[in-house]
Amino acid sequence: MNEPLLVIEAVTKRFGARTVLDLAGLVLHAGRSYALTGDNGAGKTTLLRVMAGLESAELARARYRGRDVDLCAYPEWLRREVIYVHQHPYLFRTSVKDNIGYGLRVRGTPRRERERLVHEAVRWARVEHLLDSPVHRLSAGEKQRVALARARVLKPRLFLLDEPTANLDTESRQQTVALIRDLCDSDGIALIACHDQEIIQLPGICRLHLQGGQIERRWSPLPARGPTDAGSAGENVRHGLADGLPLQPVAND
Amino acid sequence: MDWLSTTRQAFWLLFSGDPDLWAIIFVSLKVSLLAMLIASPVAIGIGYLLATASFRGRKLLIQLNQGLLASPTVVVGLVLYLLLSRQGIFGSLHLLFTRKAMVLGQIIIAVPVLVAFTLAAVQGADPRVQETTLSLGASRLRTALTTLAEVRFGVMAAVFSAFGRVVSEIGCSLMVGGNIAGFTRNIPTAIALETSKGEFAEGVALGFMLLALALVVNFSLAFLQGEGGLR
Amino acid sequence: MAAGAFCAAALLQTLIGVALLVGMPARAAAQDLRLATTTSTENSGLLRAILPQFETKFHIQVHVIAVGTGKALKLGENGDADVLLVHAPAAELAFMAAGHGVDRRKVMHNDFILVGPSADFAGIRGATDVIAAFRRIADWKAKFISRGDNSGTDQMEKSYWPLAGVSPAGQPWYVSAGLGMGEVLTMAGELQAYTLTDRGTFAAYRAKSGLQILAEGDPRMFNPYSVIAVNPAKYPDINYRGATELSDWITSAEGQQAIAAFRIDGEQVFFADAQSR
Repeated sequence: MNEPLLVIEAVTKRFGARTVLDLAGLVLHAGRSYALTGDNGAGKTTLLRVMAGLESAELARARYRGRDVDLCAYPEWLRREVIYVHQHPYLFRTSVKDNIGYGLRVRGTPRRERERLVHEAVRWARVEHLLDSPVHRLSAGEKQRVALARARVLKPRLFLLDEPTANLDTESRQQTVALIRDLCDSDGIALIACHDQEIIQLPGICRLHLQGGQIERRWSPLPARGPTDAGSAGENVRHGLADGLPLQPVAND
Repeated sequence: MDWLSTTRQAFWLLFSGDPDLWAIIFVSLKVSLLAMLIASPVAIGIGYLLATASFRGRKLLIQLNQGLLASPTVVVGLVLYLLLSRQGIFGSLHLLFTRKAMVLGQIIIAVPVLVAFTLAAVQGADPRVQETTLSLGASRLRTALTTLAEVRFGVMAAVFSAFGRVVSEIGCSLMVGGNIAGFTRNIPTAIALETSKGEFAEGVALGFMLLALALVVNFSLAFLQGEGGLR
Repeated sequence: MAAGAFCAAALLQTLIGVALLVGMPARAAAQDLRLATTTSTENSGLLRAILPQFETKFHIQVHVIAVGTGKALKLGENGDADVLLVHAPAAELAFMAAGHGVDRRKVMHNDFILVGPSADFAGIRGATDVIAAFRRIADWKAKFISRGDNSGTDQMEKSYWPLAGVSPAGQPWYVSAGLGMGEVLTMAGELQAYTLTDRGTFAAYRAKSGLQILAEGDPRMFNPYSVIAVNPAKYPDINYRGATELSDWITSAEGQQAIAAFRIDGEQVFFADAQSR
C-alpha cells in the first residue's frame, strides 16, 4: 500500500544554458496525492510533461513499480498508466460524451461497457446538463471537469494535473477541487502542479516545492480531520508560500 | 456573338437532355471521382506525415510538392504521354487515349493539392491535440486520425480544392485522353472543342454543367462529413 | 471507431479505386480502331456523318483523335494511332519515306479559301490568284492570322509567302496564333484580320465571325486528303486489319459516295478523289 509507485531517479532538463530541472531521488507513493508548488517558471509544468513523455530531457531515469524506465524513450505501456491533463485542457470537436469516452474507445472497450463507464464519469463530474452542449461553449471550469472525467474513466495509476484550478472563478474552483479530492483510489497517485491553497490544504496531500530545479522542502500531509474539512485551517501551523514555514520536516521514506 | 442569346441558347441546350451531353458529363464524373477516390487517402496521409514526422529530406519534399502545385496540367499530360506512348516505358500497357490514362493524370494533379492543404491544416492544429491523444493512450495511428478529424474543415478544403482542380483541368485530359467522342471526352475538353468550332452556346452550357457538378459533389461531401462523418 | 478500422477503410477505398481503375475497359469494344486526323477534318463534321456507316458494317468502333497535322503524324510515327487521315502532302511524303506508314491513298479534296473582314482593307475581294492576294496583304500590312502550328493549313499558308516574295515572320501585322482553325477564325473575326482556312471548317464554323470569303478558286489552293495506315512492320500489335478495312472502305464507291453526299448548309464540302488519278 505504501510502497513506492514511482521513483524519479534523475531528471536533468536544460533550456539552452539554463538548467531548469536537476532532480534526483523523488519518491511517490501509491495512494497519495502530491501538490507540486513553485514559482512561475520554476519548472513544474516541465517536470510533469517529462513524466508524461511529452517532453524530452537530457536525462530522465525512473523506476515505475520496480521497473526501470527511461523517460526519454517513453514506453507505450507506461502511457496507459499515466495521464497528463493540460492547464487548459483540449476537448475534441465532438460531444462531451465522446470526449470522455475517447480513451475507452482507443482501448477497444466494448460499447456497452464503455457507455456505462462514461455515464458514471458524467455523473461524477456533474456534467449531465452539458451533454448536448457544443464543446466550444463550455466554460473553463466545465472543460476542466470534462477533462478530469476523461482521464479518470481510464483509471490510470498516475494523474499529472497541471494547474487545474488556475484561471477559474471561485465556484468552478470549488467544484474542481471537489473532484480532485475524489480523483484517485487507493493504488493511484495524483501529482498536481498548483498555486492553489485550497488544493494544497486538502487533507491527505503532500506538498513538494520545486525551486532551483530541485525539490525542496517536503511536507507530509496534515492528518485528515474528518469529512467536513475543506478550507478550514486548524490551530496548527499553516502552509503558506509566503512564510514557507514547514509543518514538520520529515525524512524521505 | 451576343452573350445574351448565347446564354439563352445554353440553358435551352441544358434542359433538352441531349444524350451526347450526358455522356460527356459521365466521363467527367467517372474519371474525376475515381481519381479522387484513389488519391485522397494516400495524399492526406502524406500530408499528415510531412506535417508531423521529422526525417531527412522533409523540407525538400515539401518544397517539391509546392513546386508541383504550380505545374501546368498540360505539362503533366505531356510527361504522362511520353511515358504511356508506345514509344514510352509503359507503352506496352496500351493506356494512351483511355480513361485510365486520364485517371492517372488526374491523380498526379490532385496529389500535390491534397498534400499541401492537408499539410497546412495539420500544421495549424493545436499542439495539445497530439499531447492529449498520446496521453490518453492513443497509438500514433489513432493520433493521426484524431488530428485529422480535429482539422477536418481544412481536410475538406483540401478535397474540394483538389476535386475542383481535376474536374476542370483540360491540358492533361486532352493529351492523354485524346478527346475521343463518347469515350474520353469530358466537360473541359468538350468545351474546348465546341468553342473551337464556334459553338459558344454549347460551351457555355457545358460550363454551367461543370459548375453544377462541382456544387453537387461539394454539397454531398459536406453533407456526409456533417452527418455521420468523423466523430 | 477503432483507428485500425478507420485506416483499413481508407486503404480499402484506395484499393477499390485501383481495382475500378484496372478493371475499367481500356477499349470500349473488342475491335477498336484509332484514327488520328486533323482538327479541321473533325470539326467539319464529315467523320461524324460517314463513320457510323463504316462502323456498323465492319463492327468496329473508331476512336477519332483530332489533333494538329504535325501531332497526327507524330502519333502515327509513335504507333499511338492505327490509321491517319491527313492533308499535308509534303509532310506525308516524308512520313512515308521514313517508313512510318504504308498504303497511302488519295481519299478526297477540298480547297483552301482566303477569308477576311467585310471591310477588306487590302482590297482582295474576288481574287483568284492566291499569291497576288497574299502580296497585297503584305503590301497593305493588313493583319493576318497564321495557324502557326505546323498543320496542313499552316504548311500551305507558309508555302505561299515565299512565292509572293514576302517573309512575314516577326512583322507586326503577322500573328502566329498556335491555335486550331476554329480558334483562329474567332481571332480573325475579333481582330478584323485575314486568314487562310479550308472550306469545310469555314462552312461548319458556327459563330458569326463577320468574316467573308474573299479569294478562292486558285488551283494552288487545292487541299488533298490521304489515308495512311501505320506500318505494321514497326508495330506488330497495331490494328492493321482495321486500318486496311477503313482505308479500303473510304476509297471504295460506298465510302466515296458518302463523302460526296456530305453537306453543310446544302453545300458540298469535300470532293471524292479516290477513283481519279
